[in-house]
Amino acid sequence: MTELGMTRRATMRGLALGGALILAPGALAAVAAPDRRSATTAALLRTTFPHRALTDDFYRSVADRYLKEVAADPAAMKAHDLGLAELDGSHIAPFAELPAVIRRSLVEKVDQLPFFKALQWRGAEMIYRDPAVWKLVGYEGSSVEYGGYLERGFNDIDWLPKAAAGGQG
Amino acid sequence: MTSFALNDSSVFVVIGSGAAGGTLANELAQRGHKVVCLEAGPRLQMADIVNDEAEMFGKLTWLDRRMATGKPDPNFPVWNCKTVGGTTMHWTAACPRLEPHEMRALTTYGVMPDTTLVDWPVTPEELEPWYQKAELRLGVTGKNGLPFLPPGNNFKVLEAGARKCGYTDIDTHHMAINSIDRDNRPACHQLGFCTSGCAIGAKWSTLYTEIPKAEETGRFELRPECMATGIALNDAGRVESVTYLHNGKSVTQKARAVAVAGNVVETTRLLLNTKSARFPNGLANSSGLVGRNYMRHFTIQVMGVMPGKVHFYRQTHLAGVVRDERGHRPERGFAGGFLINTVPFTPEILAKNMLIGGWGHELTDILAKYDYLAGMLLTGEDPPQLSNAITLHATERDGYGLPVPVVHYEDHPNTIAMKNYAWKAGRRIYEALGAEQIVEMGDYIPATHNMGTARMGTDPKASVCTPYGQTHDVPNLFVSDGSLFPTSGGCNPTLTIVALVLRQAEHIDQALKAGRL
Repeated sequence: MTELGMTRRATMRGLALGGALILAPGALAAVAAPDRRSATTAALLRTTFPHRALTDDFYRSVADRYLKEVAADPAAMKAHDLGLAELDGSHIAPFAELPAVIRRSLVEKVDQLPFFKALQWRGAEMIYRDPAVWKLVGYEGSSVEYGGYLERGFNDIDWLPKAAAGGQG
Repeated sequence: MTSFALNDSSVFVVIGSGAAGGTLANELAQRGHKVVCLEAGPRLQMADIVNDEAEMFGKLTWLDRRMATGKPDPNFPVWNCKTVGGTTMHWTAACPRLEPHEMRALTTYGVMPDTTLVDWPVTPEELEPWYQKAELRLGVTGKNGLPFLPPGNNFKVLEAGARKCGYTDIDTHHMAINSIDRDNRPACHQLGFCTSGCAIGAKWSTLYTEIPKAEETGRFELRPECMATGIALNDAGRVESVTYLHNGKSVTQKARAVAVAGNVVETTRLLLNTKSARFPNGLANSSGLVGRNYMRHFTIQVMGVMPGKVHFYRQTHLAGVVRDERGHRPERGFAGGFLINTVPFTPEILAKNMLIGGWGHELTDILAKYDYLAGMLLTGEDPPQLSNAITLHATERDGYGLPVPVVHYEDHPNTIAMKNYAWKAGRRIYEALGAEQIVEMGDYIPATHNMGTARMGTDPKASVCTPYGQTHDVPNLFVSDGSLFPTSGGCNPTLTIVALVLRQAEHIDQALKAGRL
C-alpha cells in the first residue's frame, strides 16, 4: 500500500462515514451515482470473470442484481463502495473505461479485500448458475426429465487412442 | 404407521437414519425388536429430489452452525446431511472394502510419530462375511454376479491415461448404484447428479430402502425433525431415556438401549454435551477419547483440458477407479495409499473451487473449455492424531441452543507427502493423453468421510467402544457410525460402516434375546 493509497482510502472512509464532501476529483461519482456504481461493478465482474462471448449487458444485469442484494446490508454496501472508489480513483479514467490490462492491475490491488471476495463468490454463483452461460460453456444441466444421459452421450467419446480404450462393464 | 408410547421402555432408540442408523434400525426391526429412529432432518419425497445442485444443497445439507480451527473452512468444516437418509443422500455410492493391511495399520506401517496408529480389534477375516452381506444388501456392482456399471466418458479418459502410465487395476468400481433393475428400484440412467440425491432411486439411500422396509415390519417408528439433545442414565449407570427437540419442544422417550449414529460430528456433540456426576467429561468418555483422533480423507482434484470433448458431467460422479496406488509402498515416501476416482463439477462449483487459486483469464480460460474437461478426485489414508479433535464451543450456541461443535484438524506430514505424490500421479495420467492444460486443485472440499472419534478397542483406557461398538462405560449404549474406526484406511468408509452395523445388529440381537440388554 502506497502512502497515497492510504490517504485516498482514508479520505473515502471519511466520506462514506461522515458524508462530508471534500472531494478528490476521481472519487466523486463512485460513492453516490447509481450509474457509476453499476458500471464499475459490471466492469469489475467482467475483469474477474472475463468471457469474450458474454455481452456488456449481461455483466450489467449481473451487477444490478448483485447491487440489489448488497443494498440489503448497509455495511457491505459501504465496503463495496469503498472498493469501487479505489478502482475508480486512478485519475486516468473511470475504471469501466480503462483497458483490460490496466483494469486487471487495479483489481490485483484489491483482490484480498472482503468486498472483492464477496463479489467473487456471489458473482460466480450468479454467472455460472445462468443457463445462458451453461450453453456457452457446454453444460447441459438437469437431465432427469430427458431420462438422464444414458441414451444422450454419456459414453460418446471418440478421440481416445484405440488401444487404450478397453473399459469394463 | 406404527407408533410407540414415550413411556415404552422396551424400545431400542437409534439416533440417525443414514448408512449406520437407517441400516441398524431396519436390521433390528427385521430381527423382531421394537425400534424408534430419531432423525434431525425432514423426510423428503422422491418428487423433492431435483437435478439442481444449489437447490439440493439447501434441502439436504446440515447447515446448523459449526466451527473449525486449523486447516478446514472455519465455518463449514464438514459436508454431511440433515435429512431422512442422512449422508446416503449425498454419497457417491462407492463401495471399496478396507484392505487387510490397512486394518493392521500399526503392524504394517510401524510406529509413526504423532499418531495413534493401531491395528483394528476386528480382523479382516472376521469382517469378511459382513462385507459380503453388506454388498448383497446394497446391490454393489461387480459383486455377487451383479454387472459393473457401463464405462462413460470421464472414466474412459481416466482409464486410457492410467493405462498409458502403466496402471492396470482399473474398472468402473464397486458401486451401490443399480446396474440392473433390482430391489424395486431402476438401473442407473446416468443422470449425473449423484451427490444431490438420486432422483430415480438407482443409488442406494436409506430414505427409500432401509427405512420403508423397516416400516413394513410394523415394529419401527421414524421420527423426523427430532434433534436428540441428551441421554439419561439411571442409578445403575444404564441408559433409560433419550431427550430430543421437536418443533421447539423437549420430548423424552424411554429406551431399553440406544445406538448413536450421527456421522461423527453429531455423535461426538451428543456424547460430550451429555454430562452427569458419573460422566463429568461427557457420556461414555471415561477414556477422554470421545471426539479425539478425528480423521477424514484428503480429497484433492486434478482437472485436465483434454484434446477432445469429454462432457464429464454426463454420468455418475464417481464413474470409475484406479487402485494401483492403494498399496503400502514406503519407497514413495509415505505410509498407506490412495485411490484415484473420477469426479465432475458443475460450472458453478468448478468456478468456486478455482476461485481459491485465482480469477480472471486463469479461471475463465478453463471454464470456457468446460466441455473438454476431465476430472479426477484422489483420496487417501489419514493417520489418526490425538490432537485432531471435535470439541464443544464454550459459549457459542446454534439454533437449538446447543453448543456449537468445533472441528480441529491439521494434516499429518504423511498426508502432505501422499498428497504431493498423488497430484503428480494424477497430472501424469492426463498428460499422457496430451492434455492442453492441467489444473491441480487443493483439499478444499469440506470433509465427507468422518471417522475415529469413538474408536473401537479392547482396552477401555485406550478406546471408547468395544469391537462391537458398545461403549465400554455404559452397557446399553452403542455407537454405530464411522466414529468407531480406529484408523481410516485408504478408501470411502460407508461399506465398512454398513458391514460393522450388520455385525453389531447380530450382537445386539443376541444380547436382547438373552436378556442382557
